[in-house]
Amino acid sequence: MTLRWTISLFLFLLTASMLINSCKKSDTNRKGPTPLAFTVPPGFPQPVYDFKDNPLTEEGFTLGRKLFYDGKLSKDGNFPCASCHQQFAAFANFDHDLSHGFNNLFTKRNSPGLFNMAWQKEFMWDGGINHLEVQPLAPLTAPNEMAEDVNNIIIKLKADSLYPKLFDAAFGNPEITSQKMLLALTQFVGSIVSANSKYDKVKRGEASFSSEEATGYQIFQAKCASCHAEPLFTDLSYRNTGMPLKVGLMDIGRMRITNKSEDSMKFKVPSLRNVIPSFPYGHDGRFYTVKNVMDHYSDGVQSGPTVDPLVKNKIPLSIFDKFYLTQFLYTLTDSSFMKDPRYSEPK
Amino acid sequence: MKHSFQKILSFVTISAFTLLTLNACKKDKSAEDVQLPPEVKDHNLVLKFKAVIDTVPLEFGKSYQNFFKQSFSVKTFKFYVHGIEMINTDSGKVFRTGADKYFLVDFSDSTTTELKLAVLPYQYNRLGITIGVDSARNVSGAQTGALDPAKGMFWTWNTGYIMAKLEGTSPSSTAPGGVFEYHIGGFKEPDNVLRKPVLLFPFGQSLDLKPGKTSEITVTANIGAWFYNPHDIKFNENPVCTTPGVLAHQIADNYSKMFTVISVVNE
Repeated sequence: MTLRWTISLFLFLLTASMLINSCKKSDTNRKGPTPLAFTVPPGFPQPVYDFKDNPLTEEGFTLGRKLFYDGKLSKDGNFPCASCHQQFAAFANFDHDLSHGFNNLFTKRNSPGLFNMAWQKEFMWDGGINHLEVQPLAPLTAPNEMAEDVNNIIIKLKADSLYPKLFDAAFGNPEITSQKMLLALTQFVGSIVSANSKYDKVKRGEASFSSEEATGYQIFQAKCASCHAEPLFTDLSYRNTGMPLKVGLMDIGRMRITNKSEDSMKFKVPSLRNVIPSFPYGHDGRFYTVKNVMDHYSDGVQSGPTVDPLVKNKIPLSIFDKFYLTQFLYTLTDSSFMKDPRYSEPK
Repeated sequence: MKHSFQKILSFVTISAFTLLTLNACKKDKSAEDVQLPPEVKDHNLVLKFKAVIDTVPLEFGKSYQNFFKQSFSVKTFKFYVHGIEMINTDSGKVFRTGADKYFLVDFSDSTTTELKLAVLPYQYNRLGITIGVDSARNVSGAQTGALDPAKGMFWTWNTGYIMAKLEGTSPSSTAPGGVFEYHIGGFKEPDNVLRKPVLLFPFGQSLDLKPGKTSEITVTANIGAWFYNPHDIKFNENPVCTTPGVLAHQIADNYSKMFTVISVVNE
């Protein structure tokens, strides 16, 4: 008798333990992905993108980094994300007003630097994209950029010898979906933070401005900072800075998104962080140097119904102002993030 | 004595086991307002969509005429459905299926035209559906399943889902290649093109879901309805609509009237 209920008790315990484990996704011995911390630099606001819904992990970041540098994501294999977003140019496209895409086509706008993306609420020069995770879909599918179909990308990734393992490591399941690809890309791109320029070191009390830089900073605060607001050096608004329409592009900017005439020729205020290495400037890259940009504000602003009140009467800048401002802009270059091996092309 | 002890033990064992089973895979989903009885396991209602042009079944590539006697043929016809509600207007009871569950009905993929739903057994006389994708899903980043952007129902450059898509060719079209393309979307006010038609059942028929039985509702989606009532959409005037706005609203007004319940079969 004792034996009988010992057996039944044993069976019960066995079944119970099986049931308890039945809902776990994989075997218990397996180690999950390693969590990675996202650090908000001192003085920065809370980021817009919340990694709570896309937990940042070493494996997810590594997968996103590989995807970012992989030409497989483009139709002919020649255009990874990194072809227009080069680390040494602050993830902008070095020395290109417009970039080159599939089939010898030009892009229609200047490639922006990719850093501090987690603080952006909208993406692209016109703000047409409302979420960091879906941002890559635009360049991936645009016929003049990577020109690929999302389904084809997934097919190529599934056929690859490495990707199923990397997806498994990052998400606990080797299945590859567009959602997981986008989440991984977001983990990589969203983690690219630039907050270690001389300016940042001065703010942290680790360095001090030269007298020329300090003068430039004062001019900056007086004449530029209402749009290029610290610490992101953009207020993320859309403004028409009085750049005449360029024949051949006829880019109406944000109006294409909102269909509102008051948004005609408005573009997002770009960050001035890493401004020097990310030349040329303007939504169509028409300004080759920061001097050209300053000349535009002091002498070139064209009037029009939607031109921003802050620039419509031009910004008075003397030749000395421009010199000091340039000295200050040099302090916004963060060379450490441009050389950070975590962001570089994986070996 | 021993015997009764064993009885108690086995009772304890069984109840503990049952409790464990019930809790084993609990998901805290509160999508359903009403708790479904246990016999409704997977689904007990099949909602079938059939594409038609006025009275005849759609064949892709075949030539038809719209209300204005303009010829056209169809290449693509698909739309999003969610928020399916079963309604009894007599008792006022409404059963909402998982509002968060999206279906992309694509008539070139027969696996997508029959929606399997779990519904509280009861009598219903109306079917409510929402055509399109709620604003929340348009602003929350990468989605999957029916909302996977790879389904070709997503605007990449101006974030948002295409709620309904109709493409083809017409000799009357003024667009290059004689094509017509209606990609109807827009989730921000005033361009929100979500439509929530409530469909009547054929006279004398009602959905009578019995416990343990499955019913079937067949709904036609009439492409002909896209072109008139209340708004005239002609291939020579408006062959293309691929942005949110007034025209998208007009076409959505028209297609919100394209559905007819043609049969309700109760098991």
